[in-house]
Amino acid sequence: MPELAMESVVHVYERGSVRALDGVSLRISAGERVALIGQNGSGKTTLVRHLNGLLRPTSGRVSLDGRDAALMRVAQLARSVGLVFQDPDRQIFAGSVAAEVEFGPRNLGFRDAELRGAVDDALAAVGLAAESRTNPYDLGASRRKLLALASVLAMRTPVLVMDEPTTGQDQRGVATVRGVIEGAHAAGRTVIAISHDMEFVASAFDRVVVMGAGRVVGDGPPASVFAAASWEMLRSTYLEPPMAARAGERLGLGSTPTDDSLISALVRTG
Amino acid sequence: MLTFESVSYRYAGAARPSLQDVSLVIGSGEVVGLVGASEAGKTTLCLVAAGLAPRTVRGTLSGRILLDGTDMAPLAIHELAGRVGIAFANPATQLSGVAGTVYEEVAFGPMNLGLPRSEVIDRTDAALRALKIIDLAEREPALLSGGQQQLVAMAGLLALGPAHLVLDEPTAQLDPAGTRLVAQALARLAMDGASILVAEQKTDLLASICDRVVVLDAGRVALDGPAAEVLGDPRLADLGVAAPASVRLRRLADAAGASPATLSHLDGALALEATT
Amino acid sequence: MLLPAVLAGIAARLVRTALLLTLPIAVSVLVVNLFFYPAGREILFAIGPVRATAEGLAFALETLARIGAISGAITLFYLTTPAGDLVLDLERRGVSPRIAFVVLAAVQTVPALVERAVAITEAQRARGLDTEGSLRRRLRGVLPLAGPVLLGSITEVEERTMALEARGFTRPGRRTLLWHPPDSGRQAAARWLLVGAIPLLLAARAFGWLGWLG
Repeated sequence: MPELAMESVVHVYERGSVRALDGVSLRISAGERVALIGQNGSGKTTLVRHLNGLLRPTSGRVSLDGRDAALMRVAQLARSVGLVFQDPDRQIFAGSVAAEVEFGPRNLGFRDAELRGAVDDALAAVGLAAESRTNPYDLGASRRKLLALASVLAMRTPVLVMDEPTTGQDQRGVATVRGVIEGAHAAGRTVIAISHDMEFVASAFDRVVVMGAGRVVGDGPPASVFAAASWEMLRSTYLEPPMAARAGERLGLGSTPTDDSLISALVRTG
Repeated sequence: MLTFESVSYRYAGAARPSLQDVSLVIGSGEVVGLVGASEAGKTTLCLVAAGLAPRTVRGTLSGRILLDGTDMAPLAIHELAGRVGIAFANPATQLSGVAGTVYEEVAFGPMNLGLPRSEVIDRTDAALRALKIIDLAEREPALLSGGQQQLVAMAGLLALGPAHLVLDEPTAQLDPAGTRLVAQALARLAMDGASILVAEQKTDLLASICDRVVVLDAGRVALDGPAAEVLGDPRLADLGVAAPASVRLRRLADAAGASPATLSHLDGALALEATT
Repeated sequence: MLLPAVLAGIAARLVRTALLLTLPIAVSVLVVNLFFYPAGREILFAIGPVRATAEGLAFALETLARIGAISGAITLFYLTTPAGDLVLDLERRGVSPRIAFVVLAAVQTVPALVERAVAITEAQRARGLDTEGSLRRRLRGVLPLAGPVLLGSITEVEERTMALEARGFTRPGRRTLLWHPPDSGRQAAARWLLVGAIPLLLAARAFGWLGWLG
């Protein structure tokens, strides 16, 4: 049974009568690691907001394990789908890191040992275990972003959605995010992320969904989405495949979307 | 030309200085990239270079900053406005808040400088064209997407036409297309003689537009040299900076035991891809 | 006053708005004076112990006419003058740009603040904050919603200030205005005519000329 499904979802914002989503149909199975890529304005942000009910379809249906999401309140959907926003300063309100991370699970009803465990695990996953009493604003901007990630991780939702998790992160921060995705995947959770970082997308995800003008214009594993045959589609949405893919194509090595695939292909052909 | 002479800076109330003994020169027509781990001091260096620290952002500055050879210290912020421009990562706060249209927003800087009306118009038109946002001219800045707002902020900076530009992660919120536009605009400005300092995490971007790269580590200059050299330095990883894709791939291939012939084929392919 | 309103095509709006504005005070003026005017002699009708007098009615009507004139004039100004134009014109005539900024920014900050508040609400709802449940539950959401709005506004102000200063906003002296509201000789003449009429009208009142105007 697919975990998440969108059927012919159309979303029109009243303000500008813009069709942000123009008939999106998508099925994401439990445990998948899916990257959502596309130009600014292609509908990625609108799409993910439908997954936890912040936005409701103008027409079409969003369902979770077969149940219609329209019948559930956002607070209910938050038990299943945790969404991490891009700007941590648009959510941080607590005086300490620990209190900030506690907010989400507490709302979901976690208490005592379960709550403490969730908070500790989340802080450890993002490398902020030593900062539990620190004031969030004494952390730099990139660590605040990791704090926001921890605050949703602690909710232990089966689906984790992240909006631009690596933007503004240095190398260590990106490595931390990769670690979080690996950990979530190992625990059987579904991970969905919006990203502009093609290298990150090609290496950390099993599936890439390409959005353009409110529609899904590409969908498949990185090896096929970043293969030369798809470049025209990518360019039509103003995207470029990662360097490994481009170099591999130039050298006639077939589709090599990740560093590892390029290196193996290189070494194989001598 | 922008010169730092043994500059140290400590924010008011901070225990430790954020910049220590920084000396560097950004020549006119030069694009200098600034990299470093998250709290290495890149933003502080940008604020100091633009003169906002210690003027608006309180703190203690030691050492000197020279603007075209003369000490920046006695100049007030508004005197620096036409000479040093700064762009931040968050586009929303860079909008003036008083412009009803993008056109007025971009014209804001030149208007403030009291330039003749025709010049204000010429500069605004040129800036909109350079960043390819003429079609946004009549839109309300507050209603644009983050990426669009960043382009508008950059256009506003271009219209001011400062001889020195300082940019703190200007492409953070932009998609690849927007990033390319900004990169092109910066390259063009450098060609016109501006001295440009750009802090970024995207080392691939810096590899394509920078003449030199400076690496900051805990407030000090760790490396300073030609872009290709610094970005290819193996010490970058320890300094918390990710090498550009081509450097990384080359290193991996080498480590995996690829033959010299293969490596040189790879170099060729990477070089060609870098220029497209 | 009605003549320019008709010319501007807003006569109906003017009357409606002005009436709405003055309704509460009009009702109280009418009631108080109709029934409790001290110099009232000629009784029109009575409701229980209170009596309505003709003199009271006359006084009430006179007062209402004056109130109507004032509120009508203010409403006419408000309906025909966009804030942006007014501020720009004042700046053209020498008012400091900072004052212009304060007025305009106040208006423009509202949508940005609303947008920010919406974004913060979304983020907290995504973390399970229930904004659709009972009132008590919704009250618990005040700090997680108000906190970031306020905190963020403060940090935003810092960055905003820096950006403005870096773009020359604090430079003393006039700044170039791209355009200003159009003015014509006839409009200027009309303004001077009206200004000149004031002493005449005052004199008319004082000396009892045109008694019916007083």
